[in-house]
Amino acid sequence: MSKPDRSIKDKPTPKIDPEAHRQRIDRLSAIFSDIAGHAEELSKFRCPYRDRLDRCTGKFKCRNQKVSPDDDLLVCLHDGQFDYRSAWETDPESYGRAKARIKKIKKVSAERRAPPSEISKKD
Amino acid sequence: MAELTDIANETIRREIEEYLDRPEEIERNVGLFVRVRPLMQEIAAALIEGDDGTVDRLTKQALGEGIDALEIMDDGLISGMGIVGIKFRDTFIFVPEVLACARAMKAGMAYIEPILSASGVKPLATVVMGTVKGDLHDIGKNLCIMMLRGSGFSVIDLGVDTSDDEFIDAVEEHKAPILGMSALLTTTMPNMGKTIEAFIDADLREDVRIMVGGAPVTQEFADDMGADAYGKDALDCVAVAKGFVSVQA
Repeated sequence: MSKPDRSIKDKPTPKIDPEAHRQRIDRLSAIFSDIAGHAEELSKFRCPYRDRLDRCTGKFKCRNQKVSPDDDLLVCLHDGQFDYRSAWETDPESYGRAKARIKKIKKVSAERRAPPSEISKKD
Repeated sequence: MAELTDIANETIRREIEEYLDRPEEIERNVGLFVRVRPLMQEIAAALIEGDDGTVDRLTKQALGEGIDALEIMDDGLISGMGIVGIKFRDTFIFVPEVLACARAMKAGMAYIEPILSASGVKPLATVVMGTVKGDLHDIGKNLCIMMLRGSGFSVIDLGVDTSDDEFIDAVEEHKAPILGMSALLTTTMPNMGKTIEAFIDADLREDVRIMVGGAPVTQEFADDMGADAYGKDALDCVAVAKGFVSVQA
């Protein structure tokens, strides 16, 4: 009698030793840590959305973007001589406004959740 | 001693020849790829090129041929990512290309994860990640996701312009104990605070640890918003998430 033709799907899946997997995760984590560390350094002078062909991969508007004459892709015109983030963040004083908005969000939420008796006490 | 010409895959040969400069790295990678089977070389080559479709197809094929999942991780995925790391360090490629390679890696790992699960290897935790409403910046978040996945976390990526409801639904659906939010603009940063308030309103705030990050975010802002932690970069994000897990354990 011939053996039944077991499909790949029916084959028992070999188990993975957790310790062996942990070693792989450690190696991968080391590679990614180096990448993340270098990305942090690189971001000080090169926009992270700029690819190796100097095209912009951002899905948002930036003053350094320009439509390429060769194709429809946006190219990045940033020269690496200044902090590129100023192209996104127009107003450095907006920090104060952000802080005030967070405070207001929390205040409004707290008032909304407060029992009616507490609100009337405040009034 | 192994020679470059002994490597069967043309893409791998070209990658080593064109982009690797340090003798010890050339020797290590030639030695590695000479001994691995051609299909693993193909997986590594596709990963280096950021071709997630091919990595998907070849990983499925390899498992179908009975190749061990750890061999695929070692000889296909991690070995390919090793070359990507070197190319990035030496500025032959940049963050967008690295993230494409990370997506290719994820495509391969998608087939290995069920085997890990069946073997009793669980992710450290599930993390829901997203850029807040009104913000379309995603690179910082994507680097964090790459790091978290590489460190053993399962990550649900909600992408950009994420509403409060989308964050809440994802945390509930995946029973995620950790939420990460990112913003790159001072105008959108307060929306993280709004989302945290929405979690309080939904009576879910006690069930999830919330970390925030992004260029304009500081510890002070994180505290003001009521976040549990602030991560200043992708490395810090992993440290924070691991800290949450150790507290829970």
